[in-house]
Amino acid sequence: MTPTVTGLLGLAGLLVLLALRMPVALAMFAVGFAGNWALNGLGAATSLMASEAFTLASSPELMVIPLFILMGNVASASGMSRQLYEAAYAVVGRVRGGLASATIIGCGGFAALSGSSVAAALTMGKVALGEMERYRYDPRLSTGVVAAGGTLGILIPPSTGFVIYAILTEQSIGRLFLAGVLPGLLLVVLFVAAVSLLCVFRPDFGPRGPATSVPEKLRALVAAGPIFGVILLTIGGIYGGLFSPVEAAGVGAGAVILIGLLRRRLGLSALWQAGRETVVTTATVMLILIAAYMINPFMALSDIPEAVGIFINGLDLPPTGVLLLILGVYVVLGCFLEGFAMLVLTLPIFFPIITDLGIDPIWFGVLVVLALEMGLISPPVGLNVFIVKSVAPGVSLGQIFSGIILFWVTMLAALLVLVAFPQIALFLPNTMID
Amino acid sequence: MRRLRSIANALIGLSATIAALALFTVTAIILADVVARAFGRPIYGAQDITTMAMVLVVFGAMALCDRRGGHVAVDLFERRFPDRLNRLLDILWALAAALIFATLAWAALESARLSQMLNLATNLIDLPKAWFQWALAAFAALTALGAALRAAELALRGEDVRSREGDLR
Repeated sequence: MTPTVTGLLGLAGLLVLLALRMPVALAMFAVGFAGNWALNGLGAATSLMASEAFTLASSPELMVIPLFILMGNVASASGMSRQLYEAAYAVVGRVRGGLASATIIGCGGFAALSGSSVAAALTMGKVALGEMERYRYDPRLSTGVVAAGGTLGILIPPSTGFVIYAILTEQSIGRLFLAGVLPGLLLVVLFVAAVSLLCVFRPDFGPRGPATSVPEKLRALVAAGPIFGVILLTIGGIYGGLFSPVEAAGVGAGAVILIGLLRRRLGLSALWQAGRETVVTTATVMLILIAAYMINPFMALSDIPEAVGIFINGLDLPPTGVLLLILGVYVVLGCFLEGFAMLVLTLPIFFPIITDLGIDPIWFGVLVVLALEMGLISPPVGLNVFIVKSVAPGVSLGQIFSGIILFWVTMLAALLVLVAFPQIALFLPNTMID
Repeated sequence: MRRLRSIANALIGLSATIAALALFTVTAIILADVVARAFGRPIYGAQDITTMAMVLVVFGAMALCDRRGGHVAVDLFERRFPDRLNRLLDILWALAAALIFATLAWAALESARLSQMLNLATNLIDLPKAWFQWALAAFAALTALGAALRAAELALRGEDVRSREGDLR
């Protein structure tokens, strides 16, 4: 049996195991181990397992994952997400669809505190859905906006999506974080524009919220001041070359804990609970990553990436055509696969093709992460949709998915804008980091 | 089996506690190091401690993650499968998890022996890597034990421990 046939059998086996509900990380471990055993011997497969598990778990770069997740969990436990929402509401709440726009802006702010989309959707869902229900917002808009706004968590830095991409492709985490800033802001603006437009044609979807006085607006903005301070400290620290991303994550998590404790909004038991939740999420993400490092050498040995490269080159498409084709694959796969699993399974195949074509890997990283974001709200397995469903059990999945269509199309438009104008992603990393 | 389950729950809780403590320690050390560096006195060996502590963070919570059913799975076809098939798959994947983590524990022990023989240590403060590989092996073995117990409970009593978060402290 040739290595390529072994590789194809491995891929087919992996798909069957995934379809049979085997946990993604375990399926990748099993196939990666068996493939390496078949092509390189049992001893090599076993030592690869031990060395990758230890090397990745003790990797300095990967420390940002638990630290930024901790920062988000503590921010959520200490009520910072509510303060962000109230600050956004004070500014835009009065206009039609203002509560929905405030939710998006709140999600954008929370995304700058947390690397996780799930955390963003869950936290903002708890805060905003009740308010929107109180003001008789259409449940399709209210749930759609939370699910879509939550996805900003993996585009706006700090982002676990960027960290995983950086590790798998040996790119700079700092450059990727900076590259996510403007596209993230663009998406926030596009989401708010989409909500406003919808409410022009269907005013019943998002009635006006009650007016807030100027002192109330100021109070809400001042209350959110420390949160803006932490965002400025962490992202600004990386941006200004003051900290490495790992240091920024540690400083951010530490600062959020200290602020919560000093303002007496965070008890020790809530802090402990946030820590326990963080380590469990970290274990989930890291196991997928370690499993990816079992399967990647198998894919490389089986020459599958080379075969896919030859196939795509045979299509004789221009680089932009290849890029669109690959992004199309990501958008479709996003309907069926969990985001991180999709990233670790496909990057070893697609990334060499992208670099051969001279496409900027940082730009490609932003596009891929945006495509992952779309997957988070794509039927039938959009994770954020199920998160919102858990917070709003009275709204049917069908209603949530129909509310999402507007935002999904907006994300597709943002993806195409970023394909057409790579400078939006590359301006900050190219001007701020040599 | 109930006694075995309470022992496993206690060990899983303890290992997750170690992971959370390691996480807070890492956070505190990084924060202190950055502040101390601003005064020209960075903490010597801070990175050695934090990177090794990360092994405890990542693998310390692995058993709790498995206990809670925290591993991501594609459940597209779950509703289409008959109940008996779903139950069989749950048992099968719990056994697979036990086998994979047991293999990882054994492989990590072998690596630890090699690290000890070669005196491998961190760059600045010479923390022996074998210590943390032993910890990894112990946490992986605990995860394997938890998964094997889960498979036995599913097969013999039809009980899925993942839906009983309340009895874990």
